[in-house]
Amino acid sequence: MKNIKQILFLALTSIVFISCGNDDDIPAANNITLAFHNTFGDETIVLGDATSETATVNTSEAGQVHHFSEVKYVISNIVLVQADGTEFPYYINDLDNGATVVNVADASTLNYVLTTIPSGEYTQIKFGLGVRSDLNTLDEVSFPEFYALAGANDTEMHWEWGTGYRFTKIEGFYSADDLTLSVHTGSTVEGTQGDESTYTQGVDAYRGITLDLTTNAVVGSSAPTITIKADFDKLLSGQTNTITLGDNNATPSVHTAANMELFVDNLGGDGTNDVNGMFSVENVEN
Amino acid sequence: MLKEITMLAVVFLFLSCSTTDEEPIVIANPQIGVDIPLNFPEFNAAVYANRPTQYGVALGEELFFDVRLSTDNTIACASCHMPGNAYADHNVQGVGVEGRIGLRNVPAIQNLAFMNFYNWDGSRLQLENQSLVPIITHEEMDSSILEVMSKLEGDDTYTEMFRNAFGDAEITPERIYTSIAQYEYTLISANSTYDKVIRNEGVAFTESEARGYETFQQKCVSCHSTELFTDQSFRNIGFPVNTSVDEAGRARVTGDMDDYMSFRVPSLRNVEYTAPYGSFGQFETLRAVLDYFDDGVLDADNLDPIFKNNSNRIPLSELEKEDLIAFMKTLSDAEFVSVLND
Repeated sequence: MKNIKQILFLALTSIVFISCGNDDDIPAANNITLAFHNTFGDETIVLGDATSETATVNTSEAGQVHHFSEVKYVISNIVLVQADGTEFPYYINDLDNGATVVNVADASTLNYVLTTIPSGEYTQIKFGLGVRSDLNTLDEVSFPEFYALAGANDTEMHWEWGTGYRFTKIEGFYSADDLTLSVHTGSTVEGTQGDESTYTQGVDAYRGITLDLTTNAVVGSSAPTITIKADFDKLLSGQTNTITLGDNNATPSVHTAANMELFVDNLGGDGTNDVNGMFSVENVEN
Repeated sequence: MLKEITMLAVVFLFLSCSTTDEEPIVIANPQIGVDIPLNFPEFNAAVYANRPTQYGVALGEELFFDVRLSTDNTIACASCHMPGNAYADHNVQGVGVEGRIGLRNVPAIQNLAFMNFYNWDGSRLQLENQSLVPIITHEEMDSSILEVMSKLEGDDTYTEMFRNAFGDAEITPERIYTSIAQYEYTLISANSTYDKVIRNEGVAFTESEARGYETFQQKCVSCHSTELFTDQSFRNIGFPVNTSVDEAGRARVTGDMDDYMSFRVPSLRNVEYTAPYGSFGQFETLRAVLDYFDDGVLDADNLDPIFKNNSNRIPLSELEKEDLIAFMKTLSDAEFVSVLND
């Protein structure tokens, strides 16, 4: 037992020495903070219940006024790309260390700090809205921290019946009568994808997002902050779909795969013509 | 910090393993022969990858009846899937911890080894992927797999059962899922009066049952086909609609609005024991279902063509209804229900 402690201590200290001995001025690595700015257009979203007078109100292209009482979404599969195309995947197979739930009601979740990013100039960021299907199994044993975070009572990002995570959860109200608006997205895929010998079914709300940085993020002496705007005006007025709630176009409450992709393609893009969805880079602070 | 502790714990494991000289005792765990009854379809392919074994089934059965799978130790699988009701219950919709009401009527679970879709909406394609759902669902057991595992760990009964089934005592989610599925694969009902008539085992239909069987073949068998008494298709047959926003029928899974409020055709085996009927228990009795078909069902864009082409109804005379019910009761497998009642 004592031996093992010593071995571990030696191993850890040698790692520390190796990383320190690299350079005198520029550290080998530093943090990047992703700051999520949730808006309707340029206006920061303020949440509110049905009768709220302070909630930010938005009007869709189809003329429907709406506001939100709750907005949450999962970010995972983060990859930072340097000018020469070198990619740095950030714990992309580890939900405990590489995935987070952004909860507009909880300011502490709006900044997600990526640690020990190798020094260099980054020009692009890729990430997923939701959880990639191979990791989307509610595997509590492998990822107990993310499972607990997503499943907490004030988060509610488990999609139990699909044995996966909710990727987005939006609650709110629309029209002058404050009718309920409720959009939950996730994956209902079942079967081995890509294996043509097995039957596969379902719809996957996971979307890969690619954003070019407005200014290069220079990691080294500085620890940049990348502010990512999530413009929820796109929910109803997206690049892919213009949605009118409450008629034959789309139901205002989506808790299943039915009609789900209309909203998902607006929020996360359709993956072909649109890989940004509601996201854009607002600024990069080095 | 957590990681370092985990690492130490892992090292500990290896240390403790290396200090023991005992050879693990290997217990023979033979596969249980699960026969395909006469004229039944092939097994779901998953059965071949998870063949029931003597101790796997025993473990699965123990888990199936264990209330510790629920967060407050009140609900077992068997609390809703009651053996005496052919593994259904008599509630309109499922009832979970603290009396919470689920979305749908509890389906009978029998002959699952032969099914290719599970649940009313077919959301699962193999049973091994199913059992986590009720464990974590708020309206059912509202637990988590780690919570379940922590309750089972240190229980001598389970230590022995896991060792017998899998060679060592380690409790893993996969072992829980596969053993429950193995147990369910053994729940085969094929010994009803109907089966004995078909197999010429010296049993005959009554006159009413025989007439009912004829009507059944004219008016019901296009959906309730094969020896499973379901063709496993998904259809909207115009039943009263569950207005919960969580319900979309098969479209809940596929996202295809042509599947909206379509449900898997239920098996009629042991249907006598599984009232009420319908995806959320819309009908108290079989008679009420037949009356509804006769009166006419709700229209819908995707209403099943068999109804669309017949003025949205299945016309049935008084005598036909009585005979059909008599026939459906020949699908009751008293042995299946009573054996499992023990």
